[in-house]
Amino acid sequence: MSTEEELRAAIARQFGRSLHIRTLDTGSCAVCEQEIRLLAAPHYDLHRLGFFFTPAPRHADLLLVTGPMIRAFEVAARKTYDAMPGPKVVVAVGACALGGVYPADPFTHGTVDAVLPVDVWIPGCPPSPLALLHGLGVAVGRLAEKVRDIPFTAEDDTERVRGAS
Amino acid sequence: MTLWFVRGLRRGVVTTRYPARPEESARYLPTPPAFRPRALTAGTADRLAASCPSGALRRADDVLVFDVGRCTACGRCAAEAPHAVTTSGAFELAATSRSVLVKTIPLRGETG
Repeated sequence: MSTEEELRAAIARQFGRSLHIRTLDTGSCAVCEQEIRLLAAPHYDLHRLGFFFTPAPRHADLLLVTGPMIRAFEVAARKTYDAMPGPKVVVAVGACALGGVYPADPFTHGTVDAVLPVDVWIPGCPPSPLALLHGLGVAVGRLAEKVRDIPFTAEDDTERVRGAS
Repeated sequence: MTLWFVRGLRRGVVTTRYPARPEESARYLPTPPAFRPRALTAGTADRLAASCPSGALRRADDVLVFDVGRCTACGRCAAEAPHAVTTSGAFELAATSRSVLVKTIPLRGETG
């Protein structure tokens, strides 16, 4: 078992039941935050899954990072990460955090990976609460990653007709 | 209220760890595009890449490189070439590696 696999097993064991989340906004437009807040609504109810939001990084196991990581926030982001006890997981949320919206320039890094070691990437602009729930499940090893097997190609109409007959 | 309680007891499960059946509302979510390789030519791929505001699409020789992580599901590529682009309907896109999100789409369209 490699170190990475061991770490994953340890995370699954330790985070399998309860996990505290600290959200970090590094310059997002706040729509990702709206979707994150919706996770606590009765329809999604992430507390029943053992996920909880915490106001302090010292109590957090998982850092949910949104936004394109503006350079003015870099020190705060590093301090937040360092303040978290290990083992810890960093999840980048949204197209901004994944480099889709802002280029790297004197004001922003453009991606979260430029500053923090990201473990799970959740695309979407914004990712829906279901997508976030799936991402949290992937982060703690409860759910399988699906995107690896999605080719993002559509069948041609001729093939679809042939398949249907 | 009583019915709900009895039904809950009978099923034995009050909540599930993840939506047990396909989520109804997911149909209305904007999702990243899916491409029809046989409708894609190099020219179409270039037009799609030029129409993408977030740089999620680019052409590398004979493939279209689609970075799902950068996609904002704005639909500009579908407006640019409706015959070649449709919606994927995929929203559970979380990945444990960034490279998994970069897809290569073959260009199988007839040129000219």
